Amino acid sequence: MTVLSGNKLARQIEKVLPKAIIESSPQGLVVDKGFLLPLASYLKTARGLDFDYLTAITAVDYPDYFEVIYQLTSLKHNHTLVLKTRCYERDNPSLPSLVSLWRGADFQEREIYDLFGISFEGHPNLRHIFLWEGFQGHPLRKDYL
Amino acid sequence: MEVGNSFSQLDEAEGQVIEGLKARSQQPIADPDEWLEQELERNILVTSVDAIIDWSRRSSLWPAICFPACCAFELIATAASRFDISRFGMEVIRASPRQGDLMITAGTLTWKMAPQVRRIYDQMPEPKWVIAMGACAISGGIFASSYSVVPGYNRIIPVDVYVPGCPPRPEALLYGIRLLQQKVAKMSLINRGSSR
Amino acid sequence: MLADYGYIGLLLVVAIFFAVTTLLLPLSLSLPARLERYLRRLRQRLSLNYSFLARLLPPFSLPKFMQIIPYNPNPVKSSTFECGMPTIGKAWVQFNFRYYFYALVFIALDVLVVFLYPWAVELRELGLFGFIGVVIFIFIIVIGYIYAWRKKVLEWK
Repeated sequence: MTVLSGNKLARQIEKVLPKAIIESSPQGLVVDKGFLLPLASYLKTARGLDFDYLTAITAVDYPDYFEVIYQLTSLKHNHTLVLKTRCYERDNPSLPSLVSLWRGADFQEREIYDLFGISFEGHPNLRHIFLWEGFQGHPLRKDYL
Repeated sequence: MEVGNSFSQLDEAEGQVIEGLKARSQQPIADPDEWLEQELERNILVTSVDAIIDWSRRSSLWPAICFPACCAFELIATAASRFDISRFGMEVIRASPRQGDLMITAGTLTWKMAPQVRRIYDQMPEPKWVIAMGACAISGGIFASSYSVVPGYNRIIPVDVYVPGCPPRPEALLYGIRLLQQKVAKMSLINRGSSR
Repeated sequence: MLADYGYIGLLLVVAIFFAVTTLLLPLSLSLPARLERYLRRLRQRLSLNYSFLARLLPPFSLPKFMQIIPYNPNPVKSSTFECGMPTIGKAWVQFNFRYYFYALVFIALDVLVVFLYPWAVELRELGLFGFIGVVIFIFIIVIGYIYAWRKKVLEWK
C-alpha cells in the first residue's frame, strides 16, 4: 500500500483543475472547499488514480478553522491519498457532500454533522446518528463544555 | 437540519424519551439493601420453606443479556470453559428477559441506550437482581463526565451487587456472583427481599 | 398383556403427571399473589361505585409468606419484547401464499406414503398382483405431481 505523495499529484491536478490545491506535501493535499467535488470526481475516475474506496472521513477543530480529512484508497492500484479541506466559519460551516461519489461517505458525514456541526450540502439524510434529537450543541468542538 | 422523511417523527419521539429519562435520573436509585439490616425475625413456620426457595433461586440464576461494551468479553470469558459460570447454576444466558432473573450489566451505558435497558429490566419478571459489572457500570468509569454516558446503572435501575474493575477479572465477577448468592440466601418470605 | 405392555402405560402416566405438574405448580403457587391482587382491585372498584359493599369486604390481605411466587403485572412488563424498543404496528402481517401450494402438494403425497407403509410390511403376502396394483396407484399420483410441477406451483417467487 503506497501513500501517494501530494507533490507529484499536485502537478498532475494543476493541469486539469488549476487553483484547486492550496497546499501539497508528501503526506497529502489540502484542497479549496469549492473545488472539492470536481477534484474528488476527477480522482475517482482518472486512469492511473482510480480512487474507488473512501476509507474514512474525519474532522479536526483547530483554533481558526475546521479541517475535514478524507482518506481515499484505490483497490485497483493499491495506493492511498489523504485529502484535506478547511472551513473557516464557526457558525453553520458547510461543505459539499461526497455521497454521490462514494456511498460510504453517508454515515461518516452524518457523524461529523452530529459531533462537529459541519453540514454537508447534497446529503440525502443529514440527521443525528450518535446523539439524539434535542441534544443541544456539538460535543467534539473545543468550545463545547 | 433533518431532511424530512418518515423517520423524523420517530427521531423526535426517541429524543423526547431520552431527555425525559435523563431529567428523571439525576439522583441514583437507592440500593435495595434496607431489608438486609433489619432484624430478621424468622418465623419458625417458614424457615425450611425459605431455605428451599432461596436455595433454588440462588442456584439457578439465569442471566439476561445486557452487554453494551468491553466488560462483555470478561463475562463471556467467565461463561466459557475455564471459569465456568454454569457450575454456579447460570446454565444459559437467555436473550429474552422473560426467562432471566439476573441482569449482569457489563459495559458502559449511554443515554441513548438507557431507555432500552430500563425497558428490558422492567420486562424481567420478579424476583430479579442486578449485578453492576465494571467501573462504567458502577459510576460511569473513566467516562463519568461525558456528554453521553450514564454515570452508573444505578441511575436507572436498582443495583444489588457492584463488582469493580476495568474490566473485572472473571474471578472477581465470580466473587460478585457469590456475594449475590449470599444475599439471596438471606431472603425470606417474611421480608421478601428485593422481590416485592 | 399387562406384563408385556404395562410399561407403556406407566410411561404415559409419568409423562402426563410431569407435564401437568410443570403447568400447575407455578400457577398454584402464584394463586395467593393473584388472589391478593384481584381482591385489591375489586376493593378499589367497589369503593368507587358501591362504597357500602367495600366495607363488607374486610380489609385484610393475605400474609406475605403465603405469596410464594410474586405476581406484579404492569403495562411495561406485559408488553411485547423487542430488545427494549417499544413495538410499532401489529405482528399479524401477510405471509407468502406459496406456503399454501406446498402444503397442498404435501397433503396429497403424504396420503400416498401412508398407504405405502402397510403395503411394504405385507409385500411378501401380496405378491406380484399387489406390487403391480401399487405401482399403478403411484403412477396416478405422480401424474398429478408432474402436473403441479409443470404449472410452476413449486417455484418460489
